Amino acid sequence: MGKEQLLSLENNLFTITMLLYFAAMVLYFIFFAMKKENMAKIGNRLLLVGFILHSIALIARGIGAGRLPMTNQYEFATSFAWGLCLVLLVFIHRYHFQALGTFATPVMFLIIGYAAMQNKDVRELMPALRSNWLGFHVSTAIIAYGAFGVSFAVSLMFLIRDKMSDTAFMTRHIPPKENLDMISYRAVSLGLLFLSFTIITGAIWAERAWGSYWSWDPKETWSLVTWLIYALYLHLRIRRDWHGRSAAIFAVIGFIAVIFTYIGVNTFLPGIHSYA
Amino acid sequence: MQFALILLLLLVLACAGGSFITQGQTYEWYAAQYSERAAGAIIALGLDHVYQCWWFVAITAFLCLNLIACNLVRLPSLLKRYRQAGEAERYVHTAGAVSAEEPLDEEQARKVFSDLGFRQITQGEGFLFAARNRAGFWGAWVCHLGILILIIGFGFGQMAKETYMVYGLPGQSKAIGDTSYILTIDDFSIGLREDDTVEQYTSRLTVHNASDGTSQSAEASVNAPADMYGMRFYQNSTGWAARVNITENGEPLQSEVICVGEYVSVEDKPDLVVYLNAFYPDYYLDPGQGPMSLSSKINNPAYLYSVFYMGQMLGMNALLETEELTIDEYTVTFSEPQNFTIIQIKKDPFTFLALIGGLVTLLGLVLAFYIQYSAVWAVEENGKWTMHGTSPKGGVLFRDRFLRAVTGKEQEN
Repeated sequence: MGKEQLLSLENNLFTITMLLYFAAMVLYFIFFAMKKENMAKIGNRLLLVGFILHSIALIARGIGAGRLPMTNQYEFATSFAWGLCLVLLVFIHRYHFQALGTFATPVMFLIIGYAAMQNKDVRELMPALRSNWLGFHVSTAIIAYGAFGVSFAVSLMFLIRDKMSDTAFMTRHIPPKENLDMISYRAVSLGLLFLSFTIITGAIWAERAWGSYWSWDPKETWSLVTWLIYALYLHLRIRRDWHGRSAAIFAVIGFIAVIFTYIGVNTFLPGIHSYA
Repeated sequence: MQFALILLLLLVLACAGGSFITQGQTYEWYAAQYSERAAGAIIALGLDHVYQCWWFVAITAFLCLNLIACNLVRLPSLLKRYRQAGEAERYVHTAGAVSAEEPLDEEQARKVFSDLGFRQITQGEGFLFAARNRAGFWGAWVCHLGILILIIGFGFGQMAKETYMVYGLPGQSKAIGDTSYILTIDDFSIGLREDDTVEQYTSRLTVHNASDGTSQSAEASVNAPADMYGMRFYQNSTGWAARVNITENGEPLQSEVICVGEYVSVEDKPDLVVYLNAFYPDYYLDPGQGPMSLSSKINNPAYLYSVFYMGQMLGMNALLETEELTIDEYTVTFSEPQNFTIIQIKKDPFTFLALIGGLVTLLGLVLAFYIQYSAVWAVEENGKWTMHGTSPKGGVLFRDRFLRAVTGKEQEN
């Protein structure tokens, strides 16, 4: 299969993936709003199929482009959505609750929608991006952002559950608040660990490429800000016993910082990461 | 910890604030961008160089002191906790954070241990006990230590590091700052792809140590710096250079290769200065945007120059290679466009410390989040075993897992 065919395959699979994620989001919404329990199961399966096709799309683009598909806005956005889907599926499986999809799939759909609006052209890499560290740096960022996305979704669930009365449906499909709080904490832990990997692998790479492992570039600075916000979250949980609602609000703020680091910095604060 | 929370919050605000204000500009620049009042405030508060100003350094220093104090204070209790976490007697006479209501027989109790991932079981008189992941107690402590090493490495690196920039054409030799080393650029090449995009910049370099007469050679390209004499040489960037030819009444007066940004002044005739502002390899004069280059290939070279004559600037214009510039008896032409290389040289003896700090921080996070201590024990009474468990960080998720494992055995009854 030639380069053009692979990229065409990626383009088609990307479109199908986006439709599947959208369908999953709608089904999860019906499940939650109309209490149709089967809808969540179908949504879950669509999500899994979407994830598999999304993975194939990324592999096809990688082979077609002759490099890792992680070097421009489109590629990072689609990888971000893939990472969020991966962490979401793992959390749904591990903690046995499908309702998480209701809150996470809209975020995923927005991100893949953002990817769809970007330029999909495959361009050759500039010398600074031709490094083995690219794979470590960006793939850890994808998992970190995905985990923070899941913590955001779980925290939203917590805040909504906090406002709603306990019905049989809620009890059956949404874990108790203290479990939600703990699951959000687990997602933040995963995200913070991988964000730390991202920052450190990025610093090692920057040292080799630019001669400085830390330059206070806006992207670096905002990665640090995000890291500090989640570090604050963890400390507040210990020190102030900030569990539950306060922690959920803090996790939501943390994800806003993640989104600003990803989209806001590229838009408003260009620096040496402007290609990212 | 309250103080640490305040410091972290201040760091968040300082870092975020610093990213919104363009760093390293002058009062005039800020006044033009914002207002004179804002510019005054920015300069007075050090917001023009947030990450180096005294209050930012002070916050970071206080954070270091806090990390040291925190780790020192916690060390004895952590050691004690670590030792005691493996002692069955500490637990078996107490109720756990979670306890099963229904007792099991011994075989079932052992199965619960196995289902929960405990392999080594200590058997005592009337009890079974297992604990794992005691190392997890050290997570936060190791993480704090890593951050401390990282900040110290970064701070010392900022104070001790030496950075030099040397640029030149192949064949040129230049001193590296005020050191005894001379850098010779043996060769410089730009690898282009078929579509004319740059694949790699590569400089072949030789460093000569004037103090002992030794030399070392290496190749530096982007993402692959060269190490020589304890210094690291980075392929930083490139630029254009060209030969400037000046004649007087047709007689050659001066011919010199200069880089963009440099000038030529004729010896003994200081009234003529030619400055090379820019070079366009594939020149095109766009009516809207002005001079530009259509590609990076030398198809239609043009040189943007400024000329100063008799102490006055005569003008600035673009000159094609086929054209001449005549000023009284002088004639100026440009030729031989070529690329020069820019090499960044750095010596930071503390980079390794920052790297160690980063790796220790990661280790601490792994310990804190994924090596979580838990203990399970079963106490016998009249031939029946009651299960208990604890996991300080596992919380309700550990409780649910524990109860699922025990309930599974109960349901088998």
